[in-house]
Amino acid sequence: MFLSVTNFLNANTTYEEQELVHLLKQKDEQAFSYLYDNYAAALYGVVKQIVTDVEVGNDVLQEVFVSIWRKIESYDAGKGRLFTWMLNIARNAAIDKTRSKGYQQSLRQQPILDDDDMMHAPVRPGIDDYGLKKVLFKLKDEQRMLIDLSYYQGFTHEQIAKALSIPLGTVKTRIRSALLQLRTLLS
Amino acid sequence: MNLKEYISSGIIESYVLGLATEAEQEEFEAMCKQHPEIEQARNQFEMALENQLQQDAVAPPPQIKEKLLASLSSVDSVSATDTFENEQAPVRRLSVWKIMAAACLLLLAGVAFWAVTLNNKYQTAVQENIALKNQLAQSSDEVTELKRTAQTLQNPALKTVALQGTQNAPNSFANVYWDSTTKDVYLLVNNMPKPASDKQYQLWAIIDGKPIDLGVIEEDVWKKKLLLQMKNVQNAQAFAITLEQTGGSPTPKGSMYVMGKL
Repeated sequence: MFLSVTNFLNANTTYEEQELVHLLKQKDEQAFSYLYDNYAAALYGVVKQIVTDVEVGNDVLQEVFVSIWRKIESYDAGKGRLFTWMLNIARNAAIDKTRSKGYQQSLRQQPILDDDDMMHAPVRPGIDDYGLKKVLFKLKDEQRMLIDLSYYQGFTHEQIAKALSIPLGTVKTRIRSALLQLRTLLS
Repeated sequence: MNLKEYISSGIIESYVLGLATEAEQEEFEAMCKQHPEIEQARNQFEMALENQLQQDAVAPPPQIKEKLLASLSSVDSVSATDTFENEQAPVRRLSVWKIMAAACLLLLAGVAFWAVTLNNKYQTAVQENIALKNQLAQSSDEVTELKRTAQTLQNPALKTVALQGTQNAPNSFANVYWDSTTKDVYLLVNNMPKPASDKQYQLWAIIDGKPIDLGVIEEDVWKKKLLLQMKNVQNAQAFAITLEQTGGSPTPKGSMYVMGKL
């Protein structure tokens, strides 16, 4: 009876972000479990927008949380919120995975800098338009493409400029303005 | 560029989404420390983004969490590094397997070599053992023979007759031991030429000038036997050895080699 009450209380514990980070840095498994319960689904949504294969996506999510557990020491609250830090780990892990040899072969993808590929598949098919992508669709086509290439496929501005034969300055300006619209659309 | 322009330049979104270059990141972080308005704007965008992504969350399969929590104990914590290292764990594991496989092969080779060496040693030892057993059996036989000879010679009833070489073989010499109680006759060949393959020496007892056959000397006297037991005789005045055809002769026909009187 007492135990079940304790469990119930534990299950419903909510942490302030600062407290949660403090516990995570002390390798508190209960705090980590809480972190997973509250953020795994959001990060899984992001991973699935980058990695289309379900099994690979599951692997990436697990790798992401292992990375969070291992690297929590390096998280600096002065540079941004915990979620932003985790989001970047998730995005990087997912993009790394799509660039791994095995994944490339499984999808029969073309090498990274293929002009035609970039031009003809700016927003990759087969991904449901949910989440941030849905918001993205409200952007103009050219902006949508640039966000997809830079955010979801991880190309640098230089790579995009070279591949699309657009001046680097133009790429930067367009992405900036797309991001600004994104902010408006989100809020 | 004033603060408002900086805030609305898109740098905040670029930074938060991880799209800013390193130089832009450093500049932005410095600006945040100087201007709380920028940090506040960043925080607002972060929360809006988080809010959006939480709304569009996709529940992962429940087994991922189980696997994850089970694996935590084996995950080493790594000190502050910003590079993503998800490739490292499997690589490290692979090398451990390689090392173990190599160790196993080495061990196997070692055991095989040991087994072959051991088997060779065993075979050698077996052969040596057989040789030693044969030697021992031979030595035991010889010792038994010597003991028997010694016992016989210690008998006080034994009478010794020295048989001296004749003109046919001046260097020849033999001894006959006659037991006056049991009438047993023993012969010790000290020195006599080895007979041709179709000849054998024959011992005779002589009573009143008449020779009595005491048997032929078997060939193995030259191999191992020291003291030969010959046929018994009730009485004798002298003993002699002649060279006869193999198998012996009822009466001496060949030449005499040694002779001695009792």
